[in-house]
Formats: sequence, structure tokens, C-alpha cells
Amino acid sequence: MSQPRSSYAVGTGLFIVLGFAALAYLATQTSSVANNVRQGDSYDVSAQFTNIGQLKERAPVKIAGVRVGQVQSITLAPGRDAAEVKLSIDKRYDHIPQDSVATIFTSGLLGDQYVGIDYGSAKQMVAAGGTLARTKSSQPLEEMLGKFFGAGGVVDNIGGSYLVKADFTNVGTLSAGAPVKMAGVVIGSVQSVRADPTKLNAEVILAIDKRYDQIPDDSAAAVFTSGLIGSQYVAIQPGGSPDVLKNGDEMILTQSAMQLEDLIGKFLVNGSPGDKKDAGSGKQ
Amino acid sequence: MNARAPQSRNVVTQSLAQIGACGLFLLTLLGAIPRSFRYLRETTRQLWFVGAMSLTIIMVCGLFVGMVLMLQLYHVLSIFGGTSASGMVVALSVYRELGPVVTALLFAGRAGTAVTAEIGLMRATDQISAMEMMAVDPVAYVATPRFLAGLIAMPLLCCVFCAMAIFGGHLVGVTWLGIDNGTFWSNMTAQVDVHTDIVNGVLLKSLAFGAVVSLIAVFQGFTTPPTSEGVAYATTRTVVASSIAILALDFVLTAFLM
Amino acid sequence: MNETARATPDDATLVRIRGLTTVLNGKTIFDALDLDIPRGKVTAIMGPSGTGKTTLLKHITGQMRADAGSVHVDGHNVAELSREELYKLREGVGYLFQNSALLTDFDVFENVAFPLRQHTKLPEVLIRNLVLMKLQAVGLRGAARLMPNELSGGMARRVALARAIVFDPQLILYDEPFVGLDPVALNQVLKLIQTLNQTLGITSVLVSHELPAVQRIAHHVALLSNGKVVAQGDPATIADDGSPWTRQFFGGEADGPIPFRYPAGDYAAELGFAGAAK
Repeated sequence: MSQPRSSYAVGTGLFIVLGFAALAYLATQTSSVANNVRQGDSYDVSAQFTNIGQLKERAPVKIAGVRVGQVQSITLAPGRDAAEVKLSIDKRYDHIPQDSVATIFTSGLLGDQYVGIDYGSAKQMVAAGGTLARTKSSQPLEEMLGKFFGAGGVVDNIGGSYLVKADFTNVGTLSAGAPVKMAGVVIGSVQSVRADPTKLNAEVILAIDKRYDQIPDDSAAAVFTSGLIGSQYVAIQPGGSPDVLKNGDEMILTQSAMQLEDLIGKFLVNGSPGDKKDAGSGKQ
Repeated sequence: MNARAPQSRNVVTQSLAQIGACGLFLLTLLGAIPRSFRYLRETTRQLWFVGAMSLTIIMVCGLFVGMVLMLQLYHVLSIFGGTSASGMVVALSVYRELGPVVTALLFAGRAGTAVTAEIGLMRATDQISAMEMMAVDPVAYVATPRFLAGLIAMPLLCCVFCAMAIFGGHLVGVTWLGIDNGTFWSNMTAQVDVHTDIVNGVLLKSLAFGAVVSLIAVFQGFTTPPTSEGVAYATTRTVVASSIAILALDFVLTAFLM
Repeated sequence: MNETARATPDDATLVRIRGLTTVLNGKTIFDALDLDIPRGKVTAIMGPSGTGKTTLLKHITGQMRADAGSVHVDGHNVAELSREELYKLREGVGYLFQNSALLTDFDVFENVAFPLRQHTKLPEVLIRNLVLMKLQAVGLRGAARLMPNELSGGMARRVALARAIVFDPQLILYDEPFVGLDPVALNQVLKLIQTLNQTLGITSVLVSHELPAVQRIAHHVALLSNGKVVAQGDPATIADDGSPWTRQFFGGEADGPIPFRYPAGDYAAELGFAGAAK
């Protein structure tokens, strides 16, 4: 009679062990618990930000992309128009220079925000309960994108214009009629885009408004994209030469269109692709 | 049976009466827990039947849910160039919704119906009366162990389901569609939170679903007319009532936990 | 339990039923029924189907509560007992179900051992020996490892009997113990009931239709009809007491005080013969 009973017991035991093993697997391998900093092993540092954006409690604190702690609490600093953020940092990382800069970053385009600390050079280390005086606040996505791509502008009514030639190795989806901008302001349009049969690159003719006749002849032309998935345009970055571009001139310095994939790739991995790779391969 | 005359009233009153009776039965069940500690062995045995015996279906279904989810997400996310996030999305959707809900639905179909039919037949063949006559409390011996077994088994099954879904997602995403292995895991670990996703999502929800499904299964078994027809209807009602209860409770829990 | 309840039992009567009235779903099952079941005797309760013989047994064990009247078992009013007291009482009562009611999860051995395992902490060896003794008594020691679904109806009945007596109760209630038994098994069960009664002094209550079998072992017969005990007495003579109840029941006549037909409206009218309806 004990035979069937013990087989139930063994089977049930196996089932329970399997269930808990699965739970342990979920909790440790697929979640952030592995990097979670325990309360006892950490020390608190505070930092003040003028704008914390979407930063939340328990958001990660990273140094060089490595998680070293988490955001303990977020309060409004007493009597000031600033947010006081308490960072709880692992005891192992207790050599953070006092002049280190705490910055609020966004992981990826739409990801959560986290606090990144860039080491300073001071000899003195920040102590438990100390303050990181130098901070950089969260930047709204719009601002960031604006800086990245140059702000869009309204196309001017173009009167007279002069033509300038520029060769690009890759124009992406640039087409005739696309705006030409300088400092984000439209100063002209693309006259034509054609492939040069001998140089094997793209020859773009830019029609620039006559009003802007003081452009140095060593200025650079670059093919940019307005917004993430917007149309492409040519941006002119002024150089320092005393001579100016004239009708029929050629711009020597050009920067070809970046593929959106490259762009997002660079953007998403936050300039530290090596870290991600390492963290990932460590999971296997 | 003439005693069931109130059934001829409308569906709403009938359902309310059922819910009320079910609630009272829950109190009886919970009241019998101290007495059922003597029957720990029976609880273990039921854990084997409702838990261990459901493992195969749970594992296979978990695997396929993970695989199909990854396949769908990959095609949608590739439009936005966000395929690297698909592992994370698989994990989050499985932990928060699909894992507990699908496990509970499968559990109701696999174990709930078996429990209802078994108890119904035990009543039809006087086994319940026989236990009473042998001075064994049938609630403590039959009902509570099955209820507790369901309560314990569901979170464990749900964990297994989720793990299999992640495995299935990894299989399709990394092995087949070629998402980078490191990206798959790092995106997942960056976004999955132990408290909101695993404790609140997987464990708490599945615990609640386990309680509801087991309660309905045991209740239907105990209150069905002890005839073959009654048992057949009771099994159907177990599946229907459990499914509705699971999905409704899922909404309530999500609203409270998120 | 008050003093008067304690005072009622006497040595001769184990179960005393007074004024038992039960109404189930608007139908009166018992109408102020009085019955004494003598201690240490075999009492047969007979009566037509549907008169509530099984229901009467359920009242004795406290599975059902009466609307009025009382059932005293060994001096305890069953209706007033708490769950624990009732269970305590039931440990001393064996009950043989009409359809055996073996636990389908367990084999024959575990079925018989079930009450022992639930209520005692006996060592495994002792349980084993006790169970095998009871199985030997019903001639099924060899079937100890069979599952209930592998047994014939008669074998299952005998296993259930072994289970009912495993605790050596002071009272055993048999609900239709002879239905579906072949003559050999029937004889065996009869002998067993008799032996249990004679050697151990176990009070037995039989619910049965089978007069010849009852006559062989019963000391006392009570005939139930219309919610009352209509005749009782010695099994050898009860059939000849001349009352219309006994004459109809034992003679098997359709017409008499025991209604053969379920109450219904006028036959001719229901068939639609307009002329007859007048």
C-alpha cells in the first residue's frame, strides 16, 4: 500500500521542486533582481535636479552603463524649485569622486529614465549622505531630437537663387525639391539629384537663395533626416574661409545620409554597445 | 427535485443564489482547514492529480504561446525596427497577463472538470455519505484537500508555463529569427521587475485564479444533483463559471495591482 | 444533553424513536413514527419501496434531521449532538450502503483499512492483520489488491460489509444487504450477520424486502407503511397476524392499504375520454 502512496509523494515533490525552480528562474534570470541592490549593502547620496522628467523611484543608477544602485526617493527640495533625488549606491562602489556629474538619461528612445554618474577627477570621494553637486537634468525628448536633427523650419518663398554643386556618396531618399537648411532655417532647395556616371557617386545641385550669399566656400553639406521618419534635407554647416560660395561652385566637404537603421542603432544603445553585449552574453 | 424550484426564476437571481451559495461554501471550506490538516497525505495526493498531472499540457501550451507570441511580435516590431524589444515584450505580456490567465483556463479545463466530476460521482455512488458514516468529515477529507491542492498547484504551474513561454520565445526569436541573444536577455532583464511582474503578475494572480477555479470546481461537485446528468452539467458549469470568473477577476486584479 | 434525555435509555433498547415526523419536499415521509430497536438483536425493517426505510436509517445516524420527534441512540438524542459528538457516535455504528459506496480511489484493502487509518494510530502490522481478518470473514482476502471497479456487485457488497465491521461497532445498519447476491454469497452474508450478532452481540438493523432471508436471522420485524409502523413482531408469525397491511405486503397483492399506484387524476379523463369525465 505504501508503493502507490510513495510514488504520489515523489511525483508531487518533483512537481513542487520544478515549480519553484521555474519561479527561481523567472525571478533571477529574466528580471532585474540579479542586479538589485540590497538595502543593507548600500549607502545614500543625494543629488538635486531642476527637472527629473519621467525618473521614478527604484530606477537604476549607472556608472559607465553598469548598474551600481537605484533611486531611493524623489522629493521636492525644501524651499527650492528643484527635485531632490536620493540615490542608493552599492557599498562596493564607494570611490565616486565628489565632483562627479549625475545626469538623467533615457534608455533607448522610449525607455525608462535612469541616473548616470560620470566620474570627476577630484581626490575626495563622496561620502555616505553626501551630495553630488554637479547634475544635469532630464532633457525632453523633443529638445534632444531637435538638437540631433536640427529644427525644422518653414520653407521660404525663394526668389532668385544661385546653384552650388555637392557630391555625396549616399543621398538616402533625398529628392529634388527637398529643403536646404542652414542653422535649421531653410535657405534653398535641392534642384536635382543624379548619379555621376564617372565618379560613381550622387551629384546634387542645390539652389540657394540669393540673400544668403555670404556662405564660406569651405562649408560642409550634409544629408539629414527631419525627425525620425521624416523626409531628408540638406544641411549646410558654415566653415571659416573668407571666400564665399558663388554660383556654379562645388562644396568639397559633404556628409552622406545615414541609414535610419544605423541612426536608431546608435541612438538605442546609447553609445555603449559593448556594455550591453557583455551583459547579454553573461546571461547565457 | 422539487427543492430546486427557485431555479425556475430568472438567470440573474439564479446566478446570485449560486454565487451566494458558493461564498458560503468557501466559508465551510476554510472552516474545515484545521480539520483537514490530518489529511495532509490526501492533499499531497490531490496535488499530484491536479498539479503534477497537468504539467504536460501546461508545458506544451506555454511553449507554443511563447513561440507564437514571439513570431507575431517580431513581424509587428520589425516595422518599427524594434525587434530587439520583442523578448522583453514576450516576457512582460506572459508574466502580467497570458501566463496566469491561460494557465488558469487550462487548469479549469484539465483539473477543475476532473475534480467536479470526481466529487459528483462520489456523491452519486454514496461515497460521500459513506465517509460521513465512517465519521470522516467529507468537507475536510474531500473538498478542502482539493481546494488547497489547486491553490498550491496554480502558482507553480504558472511559473512553469511562464518559463516555458520564455523558452519558446527564445527558441523562435534567437534561434530561428536571429535576434541577438544578448539583446534578447538584456532587454528583458532591464524591463522585468520582480515585484510588479513576477510577484504581482505571476504569483498573486495565479494564486487568486487557483483559489477561484478550485472553489468553483469543488462547489459544483458538491452541489450537483447526484445523477449522471447532474454531473455532466456540473462539469460544464465548472468550465463556464471558471472562465468567466478568471477573466473578470483578471480585470479587477490588474486594475488594483497596476 | 439534559437529564431526561439521559434517563430515557434502558438496557433493552439501543435505538428509541419517538414521534418522528419528516416532510421532504412537501411529501410526508414519517408521520409520528415510534419504533424501538432492541439491543443485541437483529431487527428487520420491511416495507414497500418509497416508504422511507433508508431515510429512517439516515435519521438514526444523524445524516438527516427530523422535523419533529426524536431519535435516541444509546441514550443520546442524535439531533442535539455537536459534529464531534455525532462523529464519535458514528465510530460505533457500521453502515452498509445499498450500492456499497466503496471509495473508488483505493483498492479493497485500503477501503477496509480506511476507518482504521482515519481514527486510530495503530501500527501498520496491526492494521494489516485486522483488515485481512475482516476480509477473510467475507471470503475476499485474496481480492485485497483489486480496485473497486474490478469487483462484481456482490463482492463489492461484501467488501463494504468488511469495512462496516472493521471497527467492531455496537450497531450495524444494513441497507438492502441481500439485493444482487447469488445464493452462495447470500448465505454467507446471512451467516456473517448472524455470527456478528451472536458472538459479539452486535445490534443489527436490516432493511430488506426478502422475507425468507429475514425470517432466518431476524429476531424482530417492523413493517413500515405510510410513515408509520403498521405491524411489528416475531418474523415467523408476523405474516399471519391477519392485518390487511401484512396480508398485502407479504402476499404481494396490488390492492390493499398500501397504494401500488402513485396518486394520479382520473385515468379515463387523462386519456381524454370526454364521456367518462362527467
